[in-house]
Amino acid sequence: MKQFRKNYRVLKELVRLRFQNLMMFKIGFFGPFFVDGSLFAVQLLVFQAVYSNVERIGSWGKGEMIIYIGTYSLLNAVNMVICFFGICGISGKIKNGEMDLYLTKPVSPLFRISLERINPGSIPLVIMSVCIIFYGIHTADMQPGGKKVLCYLFWLLIMQVFYYDMEVLIRSIAFYTISTAKMEQLEEACLDLCMKLPGIAFYGIYKFIFYCILPYGIMATLPVQSLIGEMSLGLGIYGILAVCIFTGVTAFLWKNGIRHYNSASS
Amino acid sequence: MSKYIEVGRTYLKTQLAWRGDVLFHMLFTVTKILFACLLWGLIFEEREMVSGFTYHSMLSYYIISSFLSQLEKSGGISEEITYKIRNGSFSNYMVLPISIEGYFTAMEAGIVLFYLGFDLAAAFIWVFIFRIEFVFVQSGFIFCCALLMVIIGLFFMVQLNYFLGILTLKYEEISTFLMIKNNLISLVTGSIVPLTLFPEAVVRYMKLLPFYYVTYLPSMLLTGRCRQEAVTGLFVISGWCIVMQILIVYTWKKYSRKYDGVGI
Repeated sequence: MKQFRKNYRVLKELVRLRFQNLMMFKIGFFGPFFVDGSLFAVQLLVFQAVYSNVERIGSWGKGEMIIYIGTYSLLNAVNMVICFFGICGISGKIKNGEMDLYLTKPVSPLFRISLERINPGSIPLVIMSVCIIFYGIHTADMQPGGKKVLCYLFWLLIMQVFYYDMEVLIRSIAFYTISTAKMEQLEEACLDLCMKLPGIAFYGIYKFIFYCILPYGIMATLPVQSLIGEMSLGLGIYGILAVCIFTGVTAFLWKNGIRHYNSASS
Repeated sequence: MSKYIEVGRTYLKTQLAWRGDVLFHMLFTVTKILFACLLWGLIFEEREMVSGFTYHSMLSYYIISSFLSQLEKSGGISEEITYKIRNGSFSNYMVLPISIEGYFTAMEAGIVLFYLGFDLAAAFIWVFIFRIEFVFVQSGFIFCCALLMVIIGLFFMVQLNYFLGILTLKYEEISTFLMIKNNLISLVTGSIVPLTLFPEAVVRYMKLLPFYYVTYLPSMLLTGRCRQEAVTGLFVISGWCIVMQILIVYTWKKYSRKYDGVGI
């Protein structure tokens, strides 16, 4: 409880400092919202065009696909608001020795790095994503009950943690290598692919890659499947297992990396 | 002209310093093909034709459009100009005894020439790996038109990015706008899905824009479609190049005096 209170005070201070910083560059305040907003608007237009020529893609109709885009956008938006800009700097901080500053502070380095660059300018993106999801539910002519909505929210929360894990995991590799630029490029390519393509489209070796090795394929797919009632028990158990395993691996790599860290010569 | 050739040659050689990047550049072209293969594979399970495309002609379209969009690397020009203007080092270009726009065009030519072979090799590899029955144009005339359109289209993109870059002289911070532009361009050039999937009225309007002729129409021509648009397409994209050049000259004359060489 004491630790929680301390972290809360640190968080409050970080948010205050961040607002001060953002107010200095007012033009860029809503920049991430416009950039990612346009990205997901393009996605919606693309699938609008595809669905004007076909009725279904696999088992999903237009409504399900819109929910998928909205869900992916929501995961991305929450991530942008909370931790994306902080986590992005991890590799650089390890490389140039700036991590020293974080290690000497009386608060968890990962906690501080993750939350020191929150981005309130992306909050409209969260609202936009929720609107897309509602539009998808309306298009699919669904009336999900309370149980399904709760399931969906549970999976959203789990996948938000998973998204965070994957981001930290990839950047933690910087503790052991000279550069993680290629890994980050790989992450970007996988995210780009899985943003356009729901997990139901993967089969065979692709399913193995995007469900097990680089499991970006499950990130928005599982919440949507839980909402539309397409999720099997096995898939649910696999999803939770995957998140637990990747959280464990991330924690191990980060903690071991901190021990391995040798200041600017890392 | 020899100065521009030298600039192009220098940038061509510079690419050799980043061999790892070249390999990854080739590898990452697979994501677009994989996207097409999985998405359209699922759709074509239930039908044989979508908007006049068969499964293999659709994948052929993606192979060509992915190849062309990989070749188009002028996005870096606007970022470079913005960065240099903002930190005050744009003077490095202003003192060169050649036109700045010409310098960036030669730079782009050097980079494109370097990646041309690698992108072609990647395209062949993906055709082989994904077992695509590649559909390609038979007419030599249409092939030449498409080739010319690609070259003019690449030049137009250089002009566009140069124009956006020099807008930093007026607007100071345009990086957000550049990122939004990249998102929109991927849609309007047809590199995510063929534009023919959009409603006819939308496509009619898109034909008035230059982006239709940068990736989409050349890809369609090279897969043996839209032949009747080949010649008019050349005129339209050339017209846009002239319009863009006028805009560049006007903007440069009006705002170049604002640059003080000390950054923003």
